[in-house]
Amino acid sequence: MENLVLVGLTNVITFTNIALILGGTLLGLFVGAMPGLSATMALALLLPLTFGMDPATGLSMLASLYVGASYGGSIAAILLRTPGTPSAAATVLDGFPLSQQGQAGKALGISLFASFVGGLLSGIALLTAAPLLGVLVLKFGPVELFAIAVLGITIIGSLSQGSVVSGLLSGALGLLVSTVGMDLITGTPRMTFGNINLFSGIEFTVALIGLFSIPQALVLIENAHGSQKVASKITDRLMPRLAEIRRLLPNIFRSGGIGIVTGLIPGTGGDTASWFAYNEAKRFARDKSRFGKGDIAGVAAPEAANNAVVGGALIPTIALGIPGSSSTAILLGALMVQGILPGPNLLTDYGDVTYTLIWAVIFANVGLLLVGLLFTRLCVSVTKVPDSFVACAIITLCVIGAFAINNSLFEVGLMLGFGLFGYWMNKAGVSPAPMVIGLILGPVMETSFQQSMLIGQGSLGIFLTSPIAVVLLCIAAFSVLQATPLFRWLRGALRARTQAQ
Amino acid sequence: MQKRGAFAATLLSTFLLSGAAQAEYSAGDELKVLQGFKAGGGSDALAQLTQPFLRESLGIEFVNEYLPGATGGIAWTRLAKQSPNDGSVISITNTPMLMTNYIMNDAINYSIDELTPIANVVTDPGIIVVPEDSPYQTVEDFFAAAEERPGQITVGNSGVGGDDFFSTIMIEKATGLTFQKVPFQGDGPSATAAMGGKIDASFNNLGNVYGHIQSGSLRPLAVFTRERLEVLPELPTLVEKDIDVVAGSSRGYSAPAGIPEEARQELIAAFEGLKDNEEFQRTAQERAMNLDILTGDDYGQMMQDMEVQFAAIWDEIKDEVNE
Repeated sequence: MENLVLVGLTNVITFTNIALILGGTLLGLFVGAMPGLSATMALALLLPLTFGMDPATGLSMLASLYVGASYGGSIAAILLRTPGTPSAAATVLDGFPLSQQGQAGKALGISLFASFVGGLLSGIALLTAAPLLGVLVLKFGPVELFAIAVLGITIIGSLSQGSVVSGLLSGALGLLVSTVGMDLITGTPRMTFGNINLFSGIEFTVALIGLFSIPQALVLIENAHGSQKVASKITDRLMPRLAEIRRLLPNIFRSGGIGIVTGLIPGTGGDTASWFAYNEAKRFARDKSRFGKGDIAGVAAPEAANNAVVGGALIPTIALGIPGSSSTAILLGALMVQGILPGPNLLTDYGDVTYTLIWAVIFANVGLLLVGLLFTRLCVSVTKVPDSFVACAIITLCVIGAFAINNSLFEVGLMLGFGLFGYWMNKAGVSPAPMVIGLILGPVMETSFQQSMLIGQGSLGIFLTSPIAVVLLCIAAFSVLQATPLFRWLRGALRARTQAQ
Repeated sequence: MQKRGAFAATLLSTFLLSGAAQAEYSAGDELKVLQGFKAGGGSDALAQLTQPFLRESLGIEFVNEYLPGATGGIAWTRLAKQSPNDGSVISITNTPMLMTNYIMNDAINYSIDELTPIANVVTDPGIIVVPEDSPYQTVEDFFAAAEERPGQITVGNSGVGGDDFFSTIMIEKATGLTFQKVPFQGDGPSATAAMGGKIDASFNNLGNVYGHIQSGSLRPLAVFTRERLEVLPELPTLVEKDIDVVAGSSRGYSAPAGIPEEARQELIAAFEGLKDNEEFQRTAQERAMNLDILTGDDYGQMMQDMEVQFAAIWDEIKDEVNE
């Protein structure tokens, strides 16, 4: 065992591998920063290239690409309000306001640092506790997954800044849109209007690009001839200050933990983890009012979480041979091509290759910090480009991204439709964030509920038989109660009593 | 972007397989392959297995085009309805998905009559697996439990319309038992749920669970093949238990209807050639793909038999499913 860990380490430390890790990270950053191009897509395309390489080299490159893309998504989210990957959607909420206040560099620096620490944490968890944590995965079946989705839905409540009603409306719309497509249990197409393109449902990324990016481009065009750009006067530094880092560390560690656990569970990934982490950062913050207006804690939390997902998702992959996400499913495919069959013997029989992969993830995070600093400095110059050019570039990227998802023009039209709707939401003061959560968690919640009902022979009691589900559902109920007048009244009453005593 | 990936793949295979004598394909020097699933999935794995070898024997470049959606339905509609039938376009066809798609949904309206079957390449046989701590040691135990508690034994499958869903029904019909069918989104989640003991059994495919069987985290009870498997000689088939169910998930290649006979023969010959290509066999084995090469009319017959069988099954159960 000790030996295999060292074999893996020595496999990674060669000139070729380190060079490929840096190259893979850079490619990942680029893919991540482009809306619509995802890590999964890039991994699938690079996979055939690794067939001819030795396992250590191929896996190092693929793993570093995955790591790079997890951070890359935040660059466009912060600078352009267009999340480059679904997991960067939560970063928009505080990242973009910071950028508008002329602190784009600071936001990106915090994001990079949080990504690095989150990724490193998950790499260490992978190296030390994979077999231990892997067993946990099997405890999560449909019943538990349903409870997680319910807990996630409660985030909508805390995201609804200003009007709760408009937040709930946006969330409900997201849930509604997520029901489009074939019913899992009966195979019946729902709300597809006989259009075969809608049979597999609305691609979440298409909606995400439309809802965030197109409205932003339109707003930029609207204001192009008006006010002066603030962001063009960037004087702030990329490297975060030590005091800021110290203040953020508990938040980053917590978010990293959330990311690892969310990554572990098959069916949930970076997109879910980043919202959970954001919500918890807000819950634990002393001053909640600054969230959504440019709080660095709101950037650090989702970014630490979505990079921690990388290691988290790899834990079930290497401990049990179960992919924790679509990206790790492709990494597992890469292992299979090298003649390694997925299964629990990855850590023992094929330990040399598996530990190589783990070390590659850890090194890729270090590489990310180096490459990220250079790449990000380049990206910041985007803010010096006039708004109208940026707007055109955003729309072009959105069209390419939407097309690339399924190689079909239908998705482009759908994306533009969502774009116009998002623009209207923007004007009406309705935040698209709750809608995105509805879209992410709607299918998870519906599928797992139906499966639970089948397993439980139609009895709701099935949710009470799982301790994990009961705890999660209680937390969800508490979160909802916390937002109601009843809770405030209770707290007031309690305080009055203690004071009286 | 994706074309670039395909280009990179072909470029790479150029390095790997250069220097062989090349025959000429009569319908051009480029063959477009429509794939109904995302890059990196099972169809892509088949493409990456076969195409480097076919490239050599046919002397052509393969261009993969990924058109995911409607469980392959978008790509196959494109193949049947909108692709030139001059032998320049083929598609990876997954059975039984290819037929169950249009059998189950009126809105999908291609049919196998609009295709030219070229060759089936791999078949991943169906298999029943249970968790390692399951009380069922043999398939008899399992069926006995289902007889005792009808409709209460939970059985996972890869989704409505998939091969496992239909093989469950075929077994129900053959034995008179009823199971509680729980659909998952693919074979992987179904196997995971079985490993965690969330369901009593998973009707899965050998290739997906072989690693777990070897390590003991899943126990196989029976396989849906005619003969016992070489890799698991202890494992009984359903046929020897007098349950006539042979099923699996197969992938092959089809072209649109009415392609030139010359091109059809050349393609078929190329796939026939894979049968005695030792390097190909070895590569397939390394990647845990179970070869089942069936070309031309034999593949067409296989599709027609499946269509009849699955249409009849669906006719019988659709009201129940749509309740």
